[in-house]
This record gives sequence, structure tokens and C-alpha cells, in this order.
Amino acid sequence: MNNRQQELEKKRLRLAELRRARKERQEALMGAQQPEASSSSTPTSIGSTSARKEIDDFVAQVLGERPATPTTTVDGSSDAGSERGVSTTILMSPPPYSAANASSQLPATVLPAGTRIIPEFTSIDTVVFDIPPKERVVYNKEVQTVEGSFEPQGPSEEEIREQIREEFAKQEQERLDELERERLEKEVVEQQEMPELTDEERKTIVQSVEFGDFVEHSSKVIERAMSERYDFMKDYTLGLEDTTEDTNGNRVRLVCSFYDEKWCKNRSVTDVSWSKKHPELVVSSYNKNPLAVNEPDGIVCVWNIHLDDRPEFVFHSQSDVLTTRFSDFHPNLIIGGTYSGQVLLWDTRAKSLPVLKTHLSVGGHTHPVYAMDMVGTQNAHNLISVSTDGTVCSWQLDMLAQPLETLSLDYQGHQITDEIAVTALGFPDGETNSFWVGTEEGAVYQASRYARAGSQAGINTTYAYRGHYGPITGLHFHPLFGPMDFSDLYLTCSVDWTVKLWRKRTNPKPATPDNAVVYPLYSFESAEDYVYDVKWSPTHPAIFASVEGSGKFDVWNLNVDTEVPVITTIVGAGKALNKLNWSKDGRHAAIGSSDGHVYVYDIGEMATPKNEDWTTLQRTVNEMISTQAHGSILGGVEY
Amino acid sequence: MSELEETIRRLTAKKNVQGVVIVNQLGLMIRSTLDAALAKQYASLMSELVRMARDSVVQLDAQNELTFLRIRTKKHEIMICPEREYLMIVVQTPESA
Repeated sequence: MNNRQQELEKKRLRLAELRRARKERQEALMGAQQPEASSSSTPTSIGSTSARKEIDDFVAQVLGERPATPTTTVDGSSDAGSERGVSTTILMSPPPYSAANASSQLPATVLPAGTRIIPEFTSIDTVVFDIPPKERVVYNKEVQTVEGSFEPQGPSEEEIREQIREEFAKQEQERLDELERERLEKEVVEQQEMPELTDEERKTIVQSVEFGDFVEHSSKVIERAMSERYDFMKDYTLGLEDTTEDTNGNRVRLVCSFYDEKWCKNRSVTDVSWSKKHPELVVSSYNKNPLAVNEPDGIVCVWNIHLDDRPEFVFHSQSDVLTTRFSDFHPNLIIGGTYSGQVLLWDTRAKSLPVLKTHLSVGGHTHPVYAMDMVGTQNAHNLISVSTDGTVCSWQLDMLAQPLETLSLDYQGHQITDEIAVTALGFPDGETNSFWVGTEEGAVYQASRYARAGSQAGINTTYAYRGHYGPITGLHFHPLFGPMDFSDLYLTCSVDWTVKLWRKRTNPKPATPDNAVVYPLYSFESAEDYVYDVKWSPTHPAIFASVEGSGKFDVWNLNVDTEVPVITTIVGAGKALNKLNWSKDGRHAAIGSSDGHVYVYDIGEMATPKNEDWTTLQRTVNEMISTQAHGSILGGVEY
Repeated sequence: MSELEETIRRLTAKKNVQGVVIVNQLGLMIRSTLDAALAKQYASLMSELVRMARDSVVQLDAQNELTFLRIRTKKHEIMICPEREYLMIVVQTPESA
């Protein structure tokens, strides 16, 4: 710093010298032009101006490289502090003179014009302040916001939604994660907790009664569910498969066949019947299996159309069951007539043994019961059973200990025996008193349960319906339905290979004694073997079906043809067919075969009658009556 | 024992049936005709499903009870007969599939 001071001092001295020199020159000039010398500020001659310019330049050089005038030094340059400091000191006394004088850097004394100044030099201690450069705060003065953004900057509705959605999704995800975690944990726990069952445990379970019941029940349910023939997921928009279903109606189709290896083997079906309450249920009875001595002699099975390879229920009997049926008024009860003469009652709610049975005593039957029927109404009904010794019993279903009535049918005028061996029984529809019985000798008789005016209880010997040459196997009255009453017609079938149509006689006395014998209206003789059963269709007046020993199932339509059946079908393996029964809707026929099978056939559209079928049948029957009138005498003579 | 075998034989003899699994309430397999791993899977998953279905049914109506469950899928039909202690599961391929 001292060096610098010295330097400055030197410069100053030099300056002073220069000034002196100038002064002298000025004085010289003054001397020359006296009046002009009002102030020293205005240079006059050009020559001196150039000289002064030189001096100015020099001064400027000395002062620093900046040629700028000191008045503009407000701008904070990046000069070093010290340098600045110097310049500041110099500027401390700004010259009050004009630019010409400014460079001369005179001390701050006013020099009156024309005064001679003898400079006094004093030494001054200069204090150099080192002022740090002012920090320059630079800012740009311009608009910082975008146009249109002056309205409040809240999130838009869409954004809020989005946000909420995100939050929801997040929560959901968390929840799912949580659940998943729980599940996994649980699984892990379960897997740890539950080892597999040991064989021992399995064995105990399998042998428990409870498990047996479960298997029995659940498999039944599943099998029923499986047998649904209609595929409810069928897509009808897909291409149709070519179904070769014959729709012209004249066809029978096997719906299902019931057979159970365990129960039905080596047995024959002795009877089939449909449930009135549950149209899918069929009951069938069987005779004994000679190869299974430990099994019950007679059994009765209840089958379901939807469950064709096992019976719903199996009921046992100590003797061959010859006939069976559901109770018309109690869907749970099944009645059976046996070879021993017992009438048994089973209940589907109970086990396989009968809940009620009749005693083998004089009060009831002691001979085989081949036929029975139910008469009456819901509130007052009886079971009528008949055995081959001609005993007819009527029973109250809830009290089988004793029959309500017993009636012995005997025909005093018979050549060989007065006993009538009844093999078939039929009540006209709606009738509770008089009934017709088919016998082993081949005749059909009418009988009454009660004594009425003009007729006694028991067999009516006035008329004998003769026409069959062998034991009668089936007898069925025309059911009462539709606009016309044909309930005076009945059909019988026999081992003489024929089916016969009869008309019942109601006159109490025959017009002439010759008329005591009634001949059939018509005889259907297309069978090639014993005809075992015949039944009218419950819905079509002119249709009936018959089954025969050669395994044929014949459907007849009297309005179409009376000579041959409209449809003949060989059922199953062609074994003898024992019994036949129509379902309530007339579409299905259940057929019991001697090989233990029960077949269910669908006759389709045939079962639906047309309006003219009744009148046509009326005509057909009238024709038969008139032909019979001509032929009866001949027939009577022949007989 | 033989009755169980007989039933299973009869069920599996049906032409569409793929397999039978009998499971106890906890989902432990008692008897099956499917291969072990698959049967185990069916056992645990289906018993879980049955439990859920049973709960749902009871929640809808406390007097009600689940009696049968039939699941139709593109490939199979699974029929489940749930009883108090055990479940019987039958897997079959429907006619159309």
C-alpha cells in the first residue's frame, strides 16, 4: 500500500508540475490577450487545443485505462476493490468546472479568474476504504404467468373423479391383497392343520351307517340330475344337427328300461303300475328268484323314469308278489297281493318291510291274490282284492288285520266245481258295487259286492260271458273320459291267443234263456302267443295295447284297423311280457317282462285323440254290434 | 363297503362321467376315482365353494338350506350333493361338449 502511496505521490507531483507549466503558459497567453481572459475554461486557439488534447490523453492514461468521464461511474463495475478505492478518493472532490477543466483535477478551491495561485502542498493521510462491491440483485421485470391463468387454479371435476377413482382402485387393491394374504395364510394353516386322512380313518368313515346313508341318498340325487335328457345349455344359434326323430306319430320309442342286477336277476315282473301323484314313478312286483335262497321271495321296486339303473325303493315280501299298485289316494303307500294270499302295505317313508299286512286266516285270502283294485273316493275308498278260490275281500287301508267284507263267489250250476278261480278283476269306471271277473276256465262273470234290488251279493249267474277258450289273463273296462261314454265296453285277453271286446249286459233278466250266454263283440286274433295283458289308453278312446308271450307289444287303434294292430314292437330280448300299464297322460306304457325288465315306451302323438275319434268309435262299435247280432245265434249254436 | 364300491362303479359307468370324489365336511378326500392330485384339488376347492354357498343360502333365508350344487362350465358339469357330513362330487362332460 505504501508503494502505491508513493507512486500516487509521484504522480501528483508530476501533475502539479504540469499544472504549473500550463499556468505559465496561460499567463503568457493572458499577457497577449487580456480582455479575453474571463475564465480559464474556454480554450481559444486550435493549437493549444491539440496540445491540451494530448495532455488529456495523458491524464486519462495515468488515471486508468478508462476514458470515461467520472460522472458516469455509478455503474458497479467489476473492478478490483482497491482500484476502485483509488478512483473514489480522487472523485471525492468533483471539479466544479467544465469538462476542459475536469481532467486537471484541481484541489477544491475556487479560483477566481486571473488570480495567481501558489499551490500549497500538504500531505494528507489517505484512508483507503475497501468497500466490497455492492451485491448486484438482478431481476427481470416481466410477466411470469401464462395467459388466462388468473382464475382460481383448483383441480377440475374430471381430475377429482380421476383422483377418487385412483383412490378407490388403490383401496380395492389393498383390500384384495389383504384378502389374498389372509386366504394364503389360512391355506397354509389349513394345510398344516389338516393332513390327509389315514387309511384307518377312511375305513371307519366308510363303514359308518351315516356314510352309507349319505352315499345312498346323494348318489340317487346325482343320478337323477344326470339323467336329465334336455340340455339346458343348448345353443340354438349353432348349426342344427340332423335329428332323425320320426315325427309322423306312428312310432313307439323306448324311453327307458328298468333293471337292477342285484334285485331283478332271475325274477319275472308280475305287475307294473304308475303313480297317480308322481307321473315319473313306476312300481313293479317280482316273483321269487330260485337261485337266491337268502333273498326275500317277493320284491316290489319303485322306479323313477329319471333314474333308470337302480330302483328308488325296494320292498320285501315273504312270498311272491303277484300284483301291486300305488294307493290312489296316498302317494306314499304301495299295496301288493302275494301268492300266499296276503295283502301287504309298504310305505316309502319306512324301510323295506311292509308296514301293514293281512293275516293268513279264514277271514282273508288263503289263495294267491292275482288281482285287486281300488274303488271309492278320497274320503271313502276300499281296496278290493280277489283270490283264486273266488274270495273277494274289501279292505280299509289303515286296518289290514281284518277285511271289511268277505264275499265268496261260487257258481252253483257249474259242472265240475262251484268255485270260481278268479284271475282278473275289473270295475267299470265310477262303479263301486258291481264288478266283472275273469276266470281260469275262460268265462267272465259279473258280480256284486252288495245285495241290491233284484240281485244278490256275489256272482250274478244270469249272464255268462263266454268266448275265451283258456284262462283269462287280463280284463279292463273302457275308462270314462271325453264327450262319449264307452264305459260299458271292456276288453279281455287270454292264453287262447286272443283279445276280445265285450259289452256288458245290464238287464236284470235275459229276454230269453238263450241269451244267458253273452258273446264277445269282437275278437282280435292277430296274436301269435298267449296274450298276457290288455289295457285301454286313458286318453284316446279307440286305442288299446296288448302284450303277449312272444315279446310283442301291440298298439291297436279301433278307428284305424280292427284286424291288425297299428304298431307292433318286439320289446327287449323278445321274452314273454307279463303286464302292461299306461301312464296317466297316455303317452307312456310300462311293460313288465318275464326276464325282470320293465320297459317304458312312448307312443308319442298317437296318444292325443282328435274330436272325431269318439264318433268314429261309436260307429265302429255299432257295426260290431250289428254283425254280432247276426252271428250270435251261430256262435251260440256252435258253443 | 361293497355298497359304496357298487355305487361308485355305477356312477362311473355312465358314459359322461369323468370321476367321483367323496369328501368330508373339512374337505378331506375319502374316496375318489380321479387321480390323487386332481382329486385333492377338487376336494379342497369344492368344499370351500360349498361352504360359501351354504353360508350365502342361509344368510338369504335362515330357514333355507343348500341341497344341491350344479356348476356348468364350458368343459364340464360338476354336480355336488352336499349333506351334513359329506359331499359327493361328480364331474361329467355334458352331452353337447
